[in-house]
This record gives sequence, structure tokens and C-alpha cells, in this order.
Amino acid sequence: MKKVLWVITLIFVVAISHAQFTKATLQATGLTCAMCSNAINKSLQKVSFIQSVRSDIKNSAFSIVFKEGQKVEIDELKKAVEDAGFSVGSLKLAGNFHEIKIENDKHVEIGKDVFHFLNVSDQVLNGEQTITVVDKNFLTAKQFKKFSSATKMACIQTGKAASCCVKDGVAADARVYHVTI
Amino acid sequence: MNLKKIIPVIILLFAGLFSYSQQEVANITDPRLQINLPDVKGDSIALESLKGKVVLLDFWASWCMPCRAANKKLVKLYDKYKSQGFEIYSVSVDDDKKDWVKAIEKDKILWLQVNDPRNWGAQSAVNWNISVLPTTFLINKKGDVVVIDPSEKKLESAIKELLQE
Repeated sequence: MKKVLWVITLIFVVAISHAQFTKATLQATGLTCAMCSNAINKSLQKVSFIQSVRSDIKNSAFSIVFKEGQKVEIDELKKAVEDAGFSVGSLKLAGNFHEIKIENDKHVEIGKDVFHFLNVSDQVLNGEQTITVVDKNFLTAKQFKKFSSATKMACIQTGKAASCCVKDGVAADARVYHVTI
Repeated sequence: MNLKKIIPVIILLFAGLFSYSQQEVANITDPRLQINLPDVKGDSIALESLKGKVVLLDFWASWCMPCRAANKKLVKLYDKYKSQGFEIYSVSVDDDKKDWVKAIEKDKILWLQVNDPRNWGAQSAVNWNISVLPTTFLINKKGDVVVIDPSEKKLESAIKELLQE
């Protein structure tokens, strides 16, 4: 009986492997001084799952806190910055991870999103972790080039799973976020 | 209806229209637009107290590079017109007072400087609806805002003109 209980507990623990993003650090770029404009600030504040936005001048970044328990739509952060007339220069997402097993150049489903880890060592993520989004238009063109050469899969260019990635059990039209640690 | 009766009505209408349009001009005595903040020494300076001078109200921050570039040009302009009744009232939204003081020294700023910390959360910046730094307002002797974000060329010609009023 003890053994069975142990197995059940183990199954349960594995089943609830999850992650919840709590905050983010976002840098914006543009033709003009990004921090000198209040537009990005205002645009981010309108995003439904964002609790607060603070300008971190010293790091030329926006410190974002997400609403507790709400799903973070990463693409919406990019849209908010672009709607303000700027582009994302860097996006780091921090959150609490629980038993998330990741492998280099492999897809992993976290919550309802599919993540493709690049330039990482195989590991299990636990506790507070920060991941950096390396999708196209989430970093400078030069940096994107560096990360896009880290995989042969076509999804790095489109952000969609498409045929090459379906074998991992990912739907063809699923959004795949490319990230690194 | 005869013409004599209509004329006063028309005059009244115009007068109403005129006074209405006058109300639309932002004036530094408007309670919603008042700024009363400490300078480097900690002494409060009220924007309203500058009524009677030609004033350039300037929102900036030490970390805003376009603002720093503008400061250099303002130094010359201030030197040229201050004796004729021109004043600059700069509101820095710097969160860190040290950065602000350092920038004043580095840019050799001699005009009025006050600090409203909290960056984009600064109340004066919210009240004046500032969306980008720098933003400047040229104010005439009556305290009315007459030009917003004048170009360098326009600024000098407007100052000259307003000083004559």
C-alpha cells in the first residue's frame, strides 16, 4: 500500500509540473529615446494581465508585474510596445517553475504555451527562474541571427510549429515561443 | 424682425464666442496647472510667481539625451535674454536627486530648476499631460501658454516678440 501511495504521489507531482510568470523586464528600441516617451508605459498599462509598469531608468527598461494567476500572453507585450511606435529590444520573463524538464533545441509545453529552448543545457527548472524570449522582433536583428542559427527547425523564423515540429506532439498552427536561459 | 434687433444679438454671440475661446488658453494661474516644487537648495519656487515675465516651461530628465542636447542651446538663449525679462523654469522628473544636480552642474544651467521625482509618475508631468521628454511651453507675460514645443528658430523669434508685448 505504501508503495502505491508513493507512486500516486509521484504521478500527481509530475502531473502538476507548471510555471507561472510573475514579472518581466522589457527593453524597447526605436529611432528616438524610448525612455523619453510615455507612450510605451501607457500602452503596457492597458494590457489586461499587467498589474503595474515602472520605468527603470538606470537599466533603460520597463519593470512589469503581472496580475497573479492570470495567463501571460507574451505576444501581447510585443504588440503593446509596437502600438506605441517602438520595438522590443529584449524581454526577460521571471516566474515560478515547478518540475519543468527542458532539453536543448526541444519543445516543451508549459501551461498552454509551447516553448522551444535554445542554447541551454538539459535540466529541470524549479523555483524562480528567468527566461529570455529570442523570437524574431523580441530582440535586435543581430541577436536574433545568432539564436536562429542554434536550431535547424523552421519554427524559429515563423514562431509557428508547422510540419517540422508536429512530431513532438505539437499542433501545426501552435505558437512556439523561442526562449533561452 | 428688423435689423436693429438682430445686431445686438450678433454682437452678444461674438462676445460669447470670444470669451469662450479665451478660456481655452492654458494659463499658469489655473489651479490645475500650478507647479510649486523645490529647487536644488530645497526652496520652493512657484511657476505662478513668474507671471509678468516671458517664461519657457521645460520638462526634462538627466537621463533624457535629447533634453541634454537642448540644454546646451538653452544656456546660450538664457544668457542672451534673461536681462530683458526672460526666464526658464525647468521641471526635472529625475527620481534620483543626485543625477539631477550633477546634470545641472555639467550642463552649466543657471536658470530656475525644480525637481518632481518619480519619472513618468511625476504629478506635474501628469497635470501638464506630458507624453515625451523634453516638452516645452512658451508662456507670455500674462501667463498664457502661447507655443508648445517651439523649434529652436521659432523659440528665439517668439521670445523677442513676447518681450515687446
